Amino acid sequence: MGTDLFPPINFIPVPSAVEGIEVYQPAPVKLPAHREVVQFNCPQCGANTAYSAADSGLTCTNCGFYEPPEHAVVGIQAQRFEFTVDTVQRAAQGWGEARKELQCQSCGAYTTISTDSLTHTCIFCGSNQVIQHAAPQDVLRPRFIVPFKIEAEACHDIARQWLGQSWMTPRSLRRVATIARFTGIYLPFWTFETVTKAHWQAEVGHNQTERYYENGEWRTRTKTVWQWESGRVTVPIKDLVIAGTNRVSPLLLTQVKNDNLAELAPYEPKYLAGLQAQTYDIPLETAWEQARHLMREQTRRACYDQASNSKIRNFHMNLDFDQEGWRYILLPMYLTTYQFDNQRFQVMINGQTGAIAGQRPVDWTVLWLAVAALLAPGLTVGVLGFLTLMLGGLGFPIAIFGFILVVIGLIISFNWVNKAMRMDDA
Amino acid sequence: MLEPDVITTAWHANLTLTLCEACDSHYLLPPGLFPFKCPTCFEADLIEIEAERQPNDLLHHYAPELLIPFTVSQQELTARIQQFTGRIWFAPSDLKPNTLLNRLQRLYLPMWLVDSGVEALWQAEVGFNYEVVSHRDQFDQNDGGWHSQQVTEQRIRWEPRLGRLNRTYHNMPAPALEQHTQIMQQLGQYHLTEAVPFQAQALDQAVIHLPDRPPTDAWPDTIPAFHAAAAEECRQASRADHLRGYRWTSDYRDQQWTLLLLPVCATYYVDDEGRPQPIMIHGRTGRLSGPTRASMKRARTTALIIVAVAAALFILSLILGGISFMAPPLLILAGISLLGALIIGMLAITPIIVVWQYNRNQSNRGEREAQ
Ligand SMILES: [Zn+2]
Ligand SMILES: [Zn+2]
Ligand SMILES: [Zn+2]
Repeated sequence: MGTDLFPPINFIPVPSAVEGIEVYQPAPVKLPAHREVVQFNCPQCGANTAYSAADSGLTCTNCGFYEPPEHAVVGIQAQRFEFTVDTVQRAAQGWGEARKELQCQSCGAYTTISTDSLTHTCIFCGSNQVIQHAAPQDVLRPRFIVPFKIEAEACHDIARQWLGQSWMTPRSLRRVATIARFTGIYLPFWTFETVTKAHWQAEVGHNQTERYYENGEWRTRTKTVWQWESGRVTVPIKDLVIAGTNRVSPLLLTQVKNDNLAELAPYEPKYLAGLQAQTYDIPLETAWEQARHLMREQTRRACYDQASNSKIRNFHMNLDFDQEGWRYILLPMYLTTYQFDNQRFQVMINGQTGAIAGQRPVDWTVLWLAVAALLAPGLTVGVLGFLTLMLGGLGFPIAIFGFILVVIGLIISFNWVNKAMRMDDA
Repeated sequence: MLEPDVITTAWHANLTLTLCEACDSHYLLPPGLFPFKCPTCFEADLIEIEAERQPNDLLHHYAPELLIPFTVSQQELTARIQQFTGRIWFAPSDLKPNTLLNRLQRLYLPMWLVDSGVEALWQAEVGFNYEVVSHRDQFDQNDGGWHSQQVTEQRIRWEPRLGRLNRTYHNMPAPALEQHTQIMQQLGQYHLTEAVPFQAQALDQAVIHLPDRPPTDAWPDTIPAFHAAAAEECRQASRADHLRGYRWTSDYRDQQWTLLLLPVCATYYVDDEGRPQPIMIHGRTGRLSGPTRASMKRARTTALIIVAVAAALFILSLILGGISFMAPPLLILAGISLLGALIIGMLAITPIIVVWQYNRNQSNRGEREAQ
């Protein structure tokens, strides 16, 4: 350390509590100034630009100018945060005001948007804007994101494959595969990790056969011998993904969500341009409690597995959560809804993996009509045969043929109804 | 050339500079103690050095600044000495509690105290405490399943810091005697926090051992103290709860050397060979350190007495044997005394073995402590 090199680059002075001692700390990484609204315009022609899943950059809708993303993928190495008392307290505070007045920076039009939206597309001029709400704490803003990889155009193919030859579904649903508009939306998720350390004890039962003498003869009986056992279990749990929103069906979310965070990238407003995005409405504490319940059950199963037999009673365990960490991430989803029978149904496609989930209600009217149509020829032929039978012997084979047709029709119908019931339940 | 009143100016007392020619130690002696045995080696009487023969390098032109007062009580000293003398078999005749107590002399051992300005560039990692929320859950099959408990755990966040430092540190201690480390190992440490400003009346008939280690030798020993003091101040300056990995490049200016006086009670006993064995007692804790030598002379005397008893028994058995021609039953008695003579005769070697073994163990231990 030479005096001429002092202070080193990237170090800034901090107030010292002792006279005669100077203290310097590393300058905080310069974050771009917090912009409440980020507008996306093409540097070449000024038209609106939007995030494009095809090349994971910004593409101009007008002249095709392409702007690549700045940050590399960080994957599961993405920074985790601790449950500091400070964070937990602030996370409980929520987002404050419910709605926000936003002025379009392109055309000046005013719109009111809810604070849970992170993006907005001006309905007057079509410009894409990303709103970055002031979070109760910096770590509670989205910090990591899995960008869209599946293009919106691909959704129809995925939907078509998923629907298969399900002619029993309502026409409105079948339209999803052709004309429905899939909206790209980033949904909030929490990821959690911990190492659970458990100590358990329980009585474990083993069956033993014994012979005994009764009423002048030898018999055998089985009895359970109980023995105390105990053990220690350490279960590292990484990247458990918990939904951060209640606004979409939790069932669908669990069906399409993936725990593969290898494509996690640092959050950039760019990824949100032209897409929709939601902030969390399930707070950190609630999601963490949900995650802990899953984690402790997993640990309990590990304890059970350690016992020498699955016959267990008086089970007791102590569990310590260690090295807890969390992340707030955005995952890409395509959403569409359709109406049937005065009800709204959701279809969801994972924008990263293409996994699809949704309810497929059965149009029972169509199904019963089809069943009727299937059985009609057999019955007609049967009745025809019966009538001919009364006229003479020729009617007998006709009636048999009709009977066979009815049986085949019944078998196929039964199969259909079965399949339809399964689909309806999903 | 230093005038004797230089001593008086520094010490505010009328003290005489003396020398032990046996061990080359210098002392300041209060008036009226002549003649006086060297309290380090007890081999020779101290001799006064006239003003014109005084060495002018390091001995007395450093003023005392701090002093740790004697607090060990007379009862404590007596108890310690009795415990010390009581644990030796065949102790030399001079090793008696009263002899040792009568010879007790208060002595102050010197330590350097350095004040210095320091200019440095430093860097370290500083740690800040923070709290995290954690959970401990319990599952009981017979008690309604899961119970959860929220707990708060403390953690440390480490951050790099660096800076410049321009401070003056006072009274960084360093050994002023070549034997310092060895003495501290035997007596135990002194706590600098117990020191009070020097006052002449605190000397109270005590002898002062003067440094035999010049500041140039002692200086490197003070650096760790400066380092530790600066690290602690940098932690405070950073408003941090912890600090680790403190590194610096330092420059020193305006060093001031003074003395700290450590209280010791010195006494001695003379062993078989007529050599004085010095004993030191910590002036605060009463911990005692000194070589214990068993007396081979007394062991031999004891052995001789036992041999004499055996010989007497042997003669008795011969006489009884002679008489047994007339009174045969006496033959049994003769046999018993012959056996007794044999056993006691063999026991005579024990005192010599015990003493030899004891002295060998003591000198081994002394060597280990000196290392
Ligand atoms: Zn353009
Ligand atoms: Zn506009
Ligand atoms: Zn001497």
